[in-house]
Amino acid sequence: MVVLLAGCASSGVRNPSGVPVTEMRPDERGFVAGTGIESQDLVAVTDKMARSIIGIPEIANAPGKPSVILYPVENNTRFPIQKDIFLSRIRAELNSKAQGRVMFLIRGAGAQADPRMAALERERELKATGQVTSDPAKDTPGVTQFKGADYILTGKLEGLPHRTSQGISDYVLYTFQLIDVRTSVIVWEDKAEIKKQGLEDAAYR
Amino acid sequence: MVTVTRTRFLLAAAVALLALTGCETTQGRANWPRTGDPLLDGQTAIAQGPPRDRVLWQYRTAATALRRGELAEARRLLDDALLTIGGVVVNDRGARQARSMFHAESKKTFHGEPYERVMAYYYRGILYWMDGELDNARACFRSAQLQDSDTERKEYAADYVLLDYLDGLASMKLGGDGSDAFKRAEAEARLYRPLPGDAQANVLVFAEFGNGPSKLATGEYAEQLRFHPGTSVYRAVMLRVTNIVVRLDPFDDLNFQATTRGGRVMDHILGNKAVFKSTTDAVGTVGLIGGLALASRKDTREAGLGLAAAGLLSKIISAATTPAADTRCWDNLPAFLSFSAFRLPPGQYGATVEFLDGAGSPSTVTKPVTINVSDANRDTVIFISDKNN
Repeated sequence: MVVLLAGCASSGVRNPSGVPVTEMRPDERGFVAGTGIESQDLVAVTDKMARSIIGIPEIANAPGKPSVILYPVENNTRFPIQKDIFLSRIRAELNSKAQGRVMFLIRGAGAQADPRMAALERERELKATGQVTSDPAKDTPGVTQFKGADYILTGKLEGLPHRTSQGISDYVLYTFQLIDVRTSVIVWEDKAEIKKQGLEDAAYR
Repeated sequence: MVTVTRTRFLLAAAVALLALTGCETTQGRANWPRTGDPLLDGQTAIAQGPPRDRVLWQYRTAATALRRGELAEARRLLDDALLTIGGVVVNDRGARQARSMFHAESKKTFHGEPYERVMAYYYRGILYWMDGELDNARACFRSAQLQDSDTERKEYAADYVLLDYLDGLASMKLGGDGSDAFKRAEAEARLYRPLPGDAQANVLVFAEFGNGPSKLATGEYAEQLRFHPGTSVYRAVMLRVTNIVVRLDPFDDLNFQATTRGGRVMDHILGNKAVFKSTTDAVGTVGLIGGLALASRKDTREAGLGLAAAGLLSKIISAATTPAADTRCWDNLPAFLSFSAFRLPPGQYGATVEFLDGAGSPSTVTKPVTINVSDANRDTVIFISDKNN
């Protein structure tokens, strides 16, 4: 009886002693899961895209270092996401694995502007007016310019959700493109598809 | 001797069960300090209240924060709530308990009924639109619509007019084709036929008014979840800014949405619990009466006591069975959702908002609103509510 009553003290409390922090690989499916866009999807998709971009002739056989700007992906799914994270990871993967064969530029305008752009513009203005310089040979007053881009890297996420009494299913199509800014030609495009489905506990149906 | 031992065992088991059922209320007492300010009280409830009610308080407090213009707080609360309701719940202890005979449905972590989950996504979508993230706003409106897609009768599935309309408008503004979404909105329209979307409209007004539905439990053991429609003295909103007069009629009625979802799987489980409770109670009554009758005779006393103890045990099991439906409710929702979009050149404008009753007459409630059109790259989003909390 005493044992039973003592047991009541923590009744209804899930994991009363807590759950130790579990370190996981970002490409591993955790025990907190839904049908939405998760870290393992991000890793799988961006790894595939980075590998795919490195191999194209426009990058692999380019005479110099092609410069690329990132344009935010369009989210056309039902999942609100932090959109920059896809391109940030592709950029990091390319910088890490392409051995300097491609370089990225900070860019953007209007609502899509990179917040660092304002600081860069201010610095360029100071150099252009001769107020500051880091290298007098390069910082010629009046001619200091930002580097122009050769390509734009962007993408789109599209989704197809379905929900019935049998459960919920979400298909997400990830497409990324590299666009030549001089010709508007899409020089590279690749896709990844992920479909997930699940059925919730009956208490929530 | 064996019979006496068994009888004692049954009585001891009955007492133990009684003790265990007492545990039901060890968690979840709303005993945190109250100030009367719904925002502060909500924040305290989230921090100190039962974890299973956390999402409920996040919903309520986020609505209050949004109405007060405390947008960062509303964002934070809704993001956390959506993390909980956005997952697929499996192998969850609270959910398992809610399905079990001896725990109430309210043991589960609150996610809310579809109309409540819809509103969490809807409010978050408005906040994304305020931040200029139209595609994430659209994602929220789509997720909201999906919450309403598993209705018992298919004609009521995913039938929020405003959600489809906003999906279409966001798509159009993003350079896409919103025509399918607009067509769906038109087809679903019951209260008001929305105007065609204008991609150049840069001032968006979201309005809400009236009181949303509340929940009640009916049936012999309160096992049937029902909705009590809220009331609204207002039927529309009139917004006046410069020489523009905009009437906002209701696109959607939350009372209608709550009552057209149909039966839940959980209702079936609660029905089974009610039958079990009723049966064990009847068996207990028969056992007790029969047992006591037998116990009054010397030659059948021991058998009678055993039967009475079994009857008592059955009664206790019946008493411990909890088929009551979960009536926790997002209680500060509106009845009607409305929207309008129009064009204004850059500048700061003083506007007035009047709530109109069913006859179209303005009420005595007039609210001043400042519309600041400053960012050419971002829509100016105004949120109007007849509630202050």
